[in-house]
Amino acid sequence: MTQYRPQEDLSKRFWVHNLQELRRSASLATKVFIQRDYSDGTICQFQTKFPPELDSRIERQLFEETVKTLNSFYAEAEKIGGSSYLEGCLACATAYFIFLCMETHYEKVLKKISRYIQEQNEKIFAPRGLLLTDPVERGMRVVSFLAVLCEGTELLTSGLPGEDPQK
Amino acid sequence: MPRSPGTRLKPAKYIPVATAAALLVGSSTLFFVFTCPWLTRAVSPAVPVYNGIIFLFVLANFSMATFMDPGVFPRADEDEDKEDDFRAPLYKNVDVRGIQVRMKWCATCHFYRPPRCSHCSVCDNCVEDFDHHCPWVNNCIGRRNYRYFFLFLLSLSAHMVGVVAFGLVYVLNHAEGLGAAHTTITMAVMCVAGLFFIPVIGLTGFHVVLVTRGRTTNEQVTGKFRGGVNPFTRGCYGNVEHVLCSPLAPRYVVEPPRLPLAARLKPPFLRPELLERAAPLKVKLSDNGLKAGLGRSKVPGPDSLTLGEDSIHSLDFASEPSLDLPDYTPGGLHAAYPPSPPLSAADTFSGALRSLSLKAASRRGGDHMALQPLRSEGGAPTPHRSIFAPHALPNRNGSLSYDSLLNPGSPSGHTCPAHPSAGMASYRSPYLHPGAVGDPPRPPPRSFSPVLGPRPREPSPVRYDNLSRTIMASIQERKDREERERLLRSQADSLFGDSGVYDAPSSYSLQQASALSEGPRGPALRYGSRDDLVAGPGFGGARNPALQTSLSSLSSAVSRAPRTSSSSLQADLANNNAPGPRPGSGSHRSPVRQGPPSPPSTPRSPSYAGPKAVAFIHTDLPESPPSLAMQRGRIGTCSRGWGRRGQPRVPPGLHLCHLGLPEDRPPLRAPWSPAARAPPRGAMCRLHSAASSLFPSLSGPERDTK
Repeated sequence: MTQYRPQEDLSKRFWVHNLQELRRSASLATKVFIQRDYSDGTICQFQTKFPPELDSRIERQLFEETVKTLNSFYAEAEKIGGSSYLEGCLACATAYFIFLCMETHYEKVLKKISRYIQEQNEKIFAPRGLLLTDPVERGMRVVSFLAVLCEGTELLTSGLPGEDPQK
Repeated sequence: MPRSPGTRLKPAKYIPVATAAALLVGSSTLFFVFTCPWLTRAVSPAVPVYNGIIFLFVLANFSMATFMDPGVFPRADEDEDKEDDFRAPLYKNVDVRGIQVRMKWCATCHFYRPPRCSHCSVCDNCVEDFDHHCPWVNNCIGRRNYRYFFLFLLSLSAHMVGVVAFGLVYVLNHAEGLGAAHTTITMAVMCVAGLFFIPVIGLTGFHVVLVTRGRTTNEQVTGKFRGGVNPFTRGCYGNVEHVLCSPLAPRYVVEPPRLPLAARLKPPFLRPELLERAAPLKVKLSDNGLKAGLGRSKVPGPDSLTLGEDSIHSLDFASEPSLDLPDYTPGGLHAAYPPSPPLSAADTFSGALRSLSLKAASRRGGDHMALQPLRSEGGAPTPHRSIFAPHALPNRNGSLSYDSLLNPGSPSGHTCPAHPSAGMASYRSPYLHPGAVGDPPRPPPRSFSPVLGPRPREPSPVRYDNLSRTIMASIQERKDREERERLLRSQADSLFGDSGVYDAPSSYSLQQASALSEGPRGPALRYGSRDDLVAGPGFGGARNPALQTSLSSLSSAVSRAPRTSSSSLQADLANNNAPGPRPGSGSHRSPVRQGPPSPPSTPRSPSYAGPKAVAFIHTDLPESPPSLAMQRGRIGTCSRGWGRRGQPRVPPGLHLCHLGLPEDRPPLRAPWSPAARAPPRGAMCRLHSAASSLFPSLSGPERDTK
């Protein structure tokens, strides 16, 4: 029987090129989705309710902390304050040409969020076999956790295409 | 009917915006050229400057309103809506500041529309904070560009007021020579401005009211908050501030990640219990557990067994963690699986362990071999605490299916306890093999549409995808089997008596499924759902007894509880050869879909579905579905759409769409029209061909309009 090759299987690796590929191969994994919390209107925040599927994978407190931090980031991004006023006025004054050169406040915060998510993935979630995806990829409707299912699988996610998987 | 109505209408789409742009630019230019020089001399140089600035502002806002992405949601990935049950409702209620707001399922975009989101039929996209689709800018007005649209209206009104006013000044001062060229042109410009004055000012006023009240045009026009409270309002000032001063929201288009994910997901994985119980998780391997006298009450059985010391070690190893013993045994094995289950499961754990270790000891006798079943058993108690049940059960239950997948000869997979290492291997290999055997550097099909384009949901050409779906299907099958058994006990109906059909040839059927779905008609998985897997072999299965069981098993594999009845009915009604009850089923289902009052998750769906399923099997297919128009909102998702969102009772197998059948297996449709030859490979069912002609962006692999 060709399937009984535990040693060989363990040595096989998955090299994933980007998150999309990871998703394709993540039929090995289960996905847990955290939906938006609309209780405060249409501002971007996610539910902090702990999904039961993650019960055995991660501590409740860690999860809540992550989601709360994300929510605070989004609140900061959407905050109407001094910087957004200035940005609006500047944009008006330059007939919106400023958008060609400058990054908006929201985009800056989004970059911060992706860095945070990546950091969280490296430090906290990957050791637990989870992967947090950036909600902006799904239109900020949902945050998804990819829970790697199989303990015999090693998923290496990298953004470098064309790597030889046999390395 | 034009084959692609979209392409034909394209020029017409641009007429209003072209007209608006032409009028705006043309009239203003004429004003500046003919009227302003005199005004500069006679009144003030500030006049053209003021008008110039206003005009630039109008142009800038017009461009932004026209070209800016209004806040389009990309189509949801397939995996996202897999989590929802097939009985998922059309509407979902969500609480917004104490007020219940209904979120509707978007059949095109595959998600529940967030509050204030609406699907624009012109742009074929769900737009966030959808206001309206403006033909004058040929764009949807949504969250991102509402401000620019509003400012465009304000500035255009100001500009028109300015043009009319200064034109009037000019004309009044040149009243004696009205035939002069300049005067005539000024009057013409004034006429154009005056013609559009009332509509534009009216629209501007309307939007000022909307902004202050915090409503969108869509909400106002549909009367959502008529007589009610608007949960989205922030107060007058807050609303105005939100429209004018809020930061520009980002585009939701998926781009390749700028920061590559450098996370390495390598087992062993940490678990919360592991971290919490790190201290108590100590196990004595060196000691003979019998002598320690610890937890013997937990594992009474093995004491009576005459096992070697190895086995006793293993028993110790397994049973002690539940008792919080102080001794500690190092080992990666420990860390690799969830440790001691709570005491409630300890009995089952130890009981199962008993049988396992006994067999293991008798067969292998080795220490590490005896530990192997423990490893798998260690995972067994976890399902009681996780809803990931089929997924978090990688060991026994999982390997049942995986074994069956890989071992067609031994479908039941009960070899697992006897061959723990084999079980482990097969548990691992289905994951690794597909990836190993398949193409690791697979080009990812773009799952998110660009903002303006239709979503290219092309099928996965690689078998790996198919195979993994069958894995998921087998997991689902197991889950359904259990559910079905529960239902069967409550039903005690002979109609569901052939549940035995599902169990045996599961592996065979799954292989058949993958073989069939991997046929040349790659688009079989266009919508990427397991339903297609079911549909293909299921269709031919009614004829072929070998596949009939596969049909049953597969449909049970894919379906949730409500499909159980249909699949068993299919086995029953195979002779009826009812291929496409979709129209009938559609009309049948529409009462379920149409109202939120009807409970979306019918608790007794199999019994409900029973007579109805029979009823629509007898529906005459050839007549065009009368409820097609009714189904409009739900068309476009092929078998997925049919089978879900409150439409649980469609027999999944009786659908030929997107799948090619082997030529030797005549489709179920043949008896319908015996004279007709078998439809071509991959021919769509009529309903879907009709649907695809109505919605070309949602077309299947081939469209033959009938």
